[in-house]
Amino acid sequence: MMARTTALARATALAGATGRGTAGFLGFLGRFAGFAGQVCLSIRPPFQWRELGTQLVVIGWMSLPVVALTALFTGAALALQIHAGSARFNAEFAVPSITAIGMVRELGPVLGGLMVAARVASSIAAEIGTMKVSEQIDALRMQALDPVQFLAVPRVLAALLAMPVLVAAGNALGIMGGYGVGVARLGFDGPTYLRNTLEYLEFWDVASGLIKGAVFGALVALAGTFHGLRARGGAQGVGAATKSAVVMASVMILAANYLLTELFFSA
Amino acid sequence: MISAQDLHKSFGAKTVLRGVSLTVAPGESLVVIGGSGTGKSVLLKCLLGLEPPDRGQVDIAGLKQPRPHELAAHVGMLFQGAALFDSLPVWQNVAFRLLRGRHRMPRGAARELAVEKLARVGLGPEVADLFPAELSGGMQKRVGLARAIVGNPPILFFDEPTAGLDPVMAGRINRLIRSVVSEAGATAMTITHDMRTLSDVADKVAMLRDGRIHWQGSRDEALTSRDPILHEFVTGGAETGET
Repeated sequence: MMARTTALARATALAGATGRGTAGFLGFLGRFAGFAGQVCLSIRPPFQWRELGTQLVVIGWMSLPVVALTALFTGAALALQIHAGSARFNAEFAVPSITAIGMVRELGPVLGGLMVAARVASSIAAEIGTMKVSEQIDALRMQALDPVQFLAVPRVLAALLAMPVLVAAGNALGIMGGYGVGVARLGFDGPTYLRNTLEYLEFWDVASGLIKGAVFGALVALAGTFHGLRARGGAQGVGAATKSAVVMASVMILAANYLLTELFFSA
Repeated sequence: MISAQDLHKSFGAKTVLRGVSLTVAPGESLVVIGGSGTGKSVLLKCLLGLEPPDRGQVDIAGLKQPRPHELAAHVGMLFQGAALFDSLPVWQNVAFRLLRGRHRMPRGAARELAVEKLARVGLGPEVADLFPAELSGGMQKRVGLARAIVGNPPILFFDEPTAGLDPVMAGRINRLIRSVVSEAGATAMTITHDMRTLSDVADKVAMLRDGRIHWQGSRDEALTSRDPILHEFVTGGAETGET
């Protein structure tokens, strides 16, 4: 009887904790969605053109090396893997086209997004979080400036605009990585490899990847600004905001990737 | 005028303000003192609309329950750590508001005004193009003060203006605040636990304790009060012999 009562109490406590955790998570998602809506509504004059230009350089141009290197090596590895797999069916001829499609539809935007999440979400959260704990955000508000309009909007727009360009560059380099391995290691003729790549690559393959990139860019900047503006309590709070921003941006990229793939490609 | 009536504020289970009421008449300088964690900074944030109070009324310059952007034209604020924008040079920090918004000023005129306000707080034009990280703590406070007075606001708030400064620099900042407030005929409210700030800046004094106003009166009354808690605070416990 005693054991049954204890087990019941444990089950009740577990159910309660699960319920509270779920409610907390849903509340958090609601706050993030509200913040995203607030950012959208704050895209209005006066525009911070100078800040937008700065952020395009910081988020776009300065992320190019890491995105390019990631794509180059991923394209090379992808060609090797597809060759190993397709050799089982005597379908090695498909290596160029499948490498290209894999890069532009999936790996280019997703890995590019994750690299930008690591680099940009962390730096946005750290920068804005430091401003928050050092009262610079309060100082902005006392100068009649809305921190969301002044800080979040330029970063979100810059990431939204820069990411498709980064993804396009990453796609090109990923295909070149596959080309290099295909020609140097797998015995493909160079012109044939390129012809196979271009022949089977469709407009929507490329466009869908670029749209994914834009969405991922916006999510990265939203996660960074959201957590930065919620930072509290000094250096520890800034560190926690930075970590949360990167985790949130990464998970959202993977979840959004699945949803967009369903939307774009399910029959 | 600054007025707060029955302000309450809690953060989760922690109650910080338990019904604070105070009034600062036009042209008067009120210093709010109290130990660490008594709610001084939270009171300031509630007054400025940076934290919404749970209950109670705020009236600043005739604005009821004002939000920060509504106060910008009426209020100047010196933050505890100066809160200068790291990415901007000093003159753009001072002229920050003048360079933005619908009524923005030409950059040349804004810079000229910023240099004038920097001179008012004892900083030369050579400081204008430096970045905040290149300044000492005292210089940052002066730049913060220049930013607070750039729009000639009728109401000024100072949050721990001498925190982190050596006694000589703290004295200079106190005298600067006194002269700036007197010169402008501004209504001022200063949060501090520095007794030199109380002596140099206050017309009136309010002591905050356990989220309530424990004592209010003139500066001279505060310095000579026999209220045991205020007296201990003012003397630093020197006469109680506590170690």
